[in-house]
Amino acid sequence: MSSAELDVVLLSVRVAALAVAASLVPGILAGWALARWRHPLLPLLQGVVMLPLVLPPVVTGYLLLFALGRSRPLGQAWHALTGGHVAYTTTACVIAAAVVGFPLLVEAIRLSMLGVDPRLEQVSRSLGRGPLDTFLRVTLPLALPGVAAGAVLSFARALGEFGATIVLAGNVAGETRTIPVAVYTLLNVRDGETAALRLVAVSVALALAALLLTFRLSARRRDP
Amino acid sequence: MLEVRLRHRFRDFDLDVTLKTSGPVLGVFGASGSGKTTLLHAVAGLLRPQRAHVAVGGGVAWSRPAGSWPPPERRRLALVTQDPLLFPHRSVRGNLAFAPGAARRLEGAAGRRVLEVLRIEPLLDRGVETLSGGERQRAALARALLSEPQLLLLDEPTSALDAELSREVLGLLLQVRQELRVPMVLVTHRGPELLAIADDCAVLEAGRVVAQGAPVEVLSRPRALGVANLVGVDNLLRLPVTGHDEAGGVTLLGLGSGLSLAAPLCSVAPGSAVDVGFYADEILLCLETPKGLSARNALPCQVASLDAVGHEVLATLSVGERTLRARLTPAAVAELGLTRGVRAVAVVKTAAVHLLGGS
Repeated sequence: MSSAELDVVLLSVRVAALAVAASLVPGILAGWALARWRHPLLPLLQGVVMLPLVLPPVVTGYLLLFALGRSRPLGQAWHALTGGHVAYTTTACVIAAAVVGFPLLVEAIRLSMLGVDPRLEQVSRSLGRGPLDTFLRVTLPLALPGVAAGAVLSFARALGEFGATIVLAGNVAGETRTIPVAVYTLLNVRDGETAALRLVAVSVALALAALLLTFRLSARRRDP
Repeated sequence: MLEVRLRHRFRDFDLDVTLKTSGPVLGVFGASGSGKTTLLHAVAGLLRPQRAHVAVGGGVAWSRPAGSWPPPERRRLALVTQDPLLFPHRSVRGNLAFAPGAARRLEGAAGRRVLEVLRIEPLLDRGVETLSGGERQRAALARALLSEPQLLLLDEPTSALDAELSREVLGLLLQVRQELRVPMVLVTHRGPELLAIADDCAVLEAGRVVAQGAPVEVLSRPRALGVANLVGVDNLLRLPVTGHDEAGGVTLLGLGSGLSLAAPLCSVAPGSAVDVGFYADEILLCLETPKGLSARNALPCQVASLDAVGHEVLATLSVGERTLRARLTPAAVAELGLTRGVRAVAVVKTAAVHLLGGS
């Protein structure tokens, strides 16, 4: 593998890790809310959270580009905060990967929190632990295998992200050229196929490893 | 010690409870679906009833909609349920140390006392999934006590255990009551538990308190058919009123074949039916009609069957067109020479015959 290809792999892993890290806390909150709250508008929230799973990634990417554009409030807020623009940066890759992986993370967390007996939470409250304490001492520890499985799954999804990335982040070598973007680029140049195949092999290995890890984590969750 | 007034309308169920007790242990008795658990949850603060007033000893009172209705963690009422609900991700020690301050208490004298009474010491470092059913319930009880509750709320703590274990846990509760002096509300559908432990008891039926008083009194004088079914009143009959003897203070109920049962005077019109109940222990059997008898009922009967139940014999008697059950000792059966088909006389005091269902 050439050093340029290694850079591509490292960038991909960095982007995916940052995406998961950034979505972990909101993902836990969303999963908990969807598992425990009762509200007539909750299905709508669930729909919004799950949307990136069913939207074509290119559409998701375009919606993000639209929302984060220079003349939009979100884009301007970002500019005021960082002095830069989102589009065509590594940050854009991270945002695209995080948004697309978010439904997988939230769904795994939601399911594992549904599996936590609410009566354990009632007992915790009656023993004197408030809602936050109960969440941190009972609900979250018991849902942890699901949180981990969701994190691994969304990490793997982030590694494979192409559609939203190419729209929002483009194809800048060293900045936004992740494995899928690099493979696509290599397939379009003469003699690029061998290099593309090497990246494909790395991609398959990483994805398979992530899946195996997820299986293991969910198997542990089912143990008594 | 505890005063409760609650009203809550559920989609298919109305809870309307008024309760007051001074005893350290209140038993709440009722069939499943009578609202026992809902009552406990409301007292614990796990539920927000539409109207509520709960006063726990020491001048603490919570109410709704006016007043304060604190969340469960600010009530110091520990809940112990049928399912011990130990935290599966913690060891026994981790469970016991769960409540705020419990870790410190566990090391102190009070904690050691709890461990000793409930015999938890050898279990401390075990994982909860390795415990037996009885051990789990002991650990759950210890965990609740270590939260230093002002009141222990017990929701059928023995009903998931077999007879022997449930006696053991009941014994422990008695010890907790006597030695640790923690007041309790015990919700149960078993009569004997109440008799063993409660000072005061309330019977809940379809969301309402239908009887309240000392357990012996409430359970042996069934005022409601529901209670009778629950505690196993042995003779439950629906009989037509054939007449009233107001001067004599009795109402006569037809048993068929011209026989009648004298019950305490009631105002039900002749021809209407009433429900009555009396215990099998309340029947005396004689071979001949006794003379100079104060009991108003001396009913000719025939022994239909005799079944040994433990150290007792349960006799089934045909009286008129009805069947009654009498509990006898084997010695009495032998002395009277009772066998199937023998004719005898069943004697029942009028006062032993309870009119049920508010009739």
